Amino acid sequence: MAKHQAMTQEWLDAWKEKIAGSKEYKEIAKGWEGSVSIIVNPDPDKGIPEPLYLFTDYWHGDVKDFLICDKAKAESAKFIMSGDYARWKQVARKEIDSTKALMQGKLKLKGDLTYIVRNIKSVNKVIDLLCEIETVWPDEA
Amino acid sequence: MAYDQDLSFVYFGPTRVIFGVGASRDCEMEMAGLGCRRALVMTDPGVMKAGLVEGVLKALGDKCVGVFSDVPQDTGVGVVNRAADYARGKGADCVVSVGGGSVIDTGKGVCILLTEGGGLENFEGIQLLTRPQTPHIVIPTTAGTGSEVTCMAVILDERKGQKILIVEYFNTPRIAILDPVMTEKLPPLLTASTGMDAMTHAVEALQSVQREPIADGLAMQAIRLLYRFLPICTQNGADLAARGQVQLAATMAGWAFGNAMVGLVHAMAHSLGAIARVPHGIANGILLPHVMAFNLEDAAESYALVAEAMGVREKGMDEREAAEAAVAALRSFLGRIGHPVRLSEVSVTEEALVKASALSLSDGAIVNNARPVMDEGEVLAVYRTAY
Repeated sequence: MAKHQAMTQEWLDAWKEKIAGSKEYKEIAKGWEGSVSIIVNPDPDKGIPEPLYLFTDYWHGDVKDFLICDKAKAESAKFIMSGDYARWKQVARKEIDSTKALMQGKLKLKGDLTYIVRNIKSVNKVIDLLCEIETVWPDEA
Repeated sequence: MAYDQDLSFVYFGPTRVIFGVGASRDCEMEMAGLGCRRALVMTDPGVMKAGLVEGVLKALGDKCVGVFSDVPQDTGVGVVNRAADYARGKGADCVVSVGGGSVIDTGKGVCILLTEGGGLENFEGIQLLTRPQTPHIVIPTTAGTGSEVTCMAVILDERKGQKILIVEYFNTPRIAILDPVMTEKLPPLLTASTGMDAMTHAVEALQSVQREPIADGLAMQAIRLLYRFLPICTQNGADLAARGQVQLAATMAGWAFGNAMVGLVHAMAHSLGAIARVPHGIANGILLPHVMAFNLEDAAESYALVAEAMGVREKGMDEREAAEAAVAALRSFLGRIGHPVRLSEVSVTEEALVKASALSLSDGAIVNNARPVMDEGEVLAVYRTAY
């Protein structure tokens, strides 16, 4: 399996492809509509000199734009999640549960939590699919 | 007691607690200790009418710059925005909330707006704030919500017609003053239902997928105190020693669930509150033993701890038997404190149960339930057993 540099456009493309190819996702995500942005706080020691802005968009089981973007685009998303690079790495490796991480202040969420909970199966599936990607992390390269 | 080998958690509980009969008289000194000089007092018409604010105002003297007493039973974004405008106009540098959960949550919202500006509708979310907020002193007049020590606020967004959740470590009240006198006049049913709210916080924290040893310890002690002292309070509200123990239990349960979270009982109670206007404590109390029975396979160890705390785990009982004993004991406890035991007693229609089942699945509490719940049919079945 090809390896992908974390938090790059090719990594987002691989993630999008995984989601688009999942029949299970298509079925359970019928009720989800709207975009989620991921903001990665800078951590120069770990190879993230500037903040990173990732934009992902989902629509009733389909996937739309998955883009590295600027701050304005990220802040236009229906849900904005932000956190340190090390936290996102833990989420992508399933070392921490994203819901717990939110409640414990390890990640931040702007948006309607009840919508996310109502669609928690979709959220968990998207993270499961991310975990399946062979990823090269900037601090491990 | 089994915790996962990879147990990891964050415990957060920064609130200073002042306890004792007459402790609300220390309000001004505590405020001065925070470096504050101009307090806005937040309350509701019922608390005003009961005369509970007078002593606080007397203690604050000229350090009180205004009283906002228009907080309804279920506060809303519009109420918070109006209260914040009023507070800004008075130059308030701290908020003193005297009341129950709705008043305290309004106070939390105002503290954010006094620091950050704007309207509360811009702050829906989790852990968005990056600096300490305006100091908040809380003097609860009920013993149940635990809101005096949690970082959460639930506020109705009137435009959307739904409640929004705001979870912010930086907005946890700085000081909670627990004065048993403030709960002395609570009528028996309100004493019982708010007490069952606290009991539910403690039991649900123990069974949560986020449970951890510190929260467990607090929850266990809260259950011990509630089981012993809540019946005394419902029979003799003037027993200030018992009132004080129940207040402490509610605060401990607040710390417990503020860290370990709550589960299905709360998801179902929130939904019944939204659809059928069932008071939160009453819904929690009625549903608690039924949800425990539903969760029994997945939460036997936790419920065995509940049985231990209540003193109903007999020698030789295995975990499941102890858990069943806890469920039975809670059912009879409801009778002892004069609490309703059936949803049909509190004017809920069967149609409302169907709607509430669907709504429960989108409540944040449900993801922490020991038994995973993904199907509204399962929730409806629990409602029906409680009907």
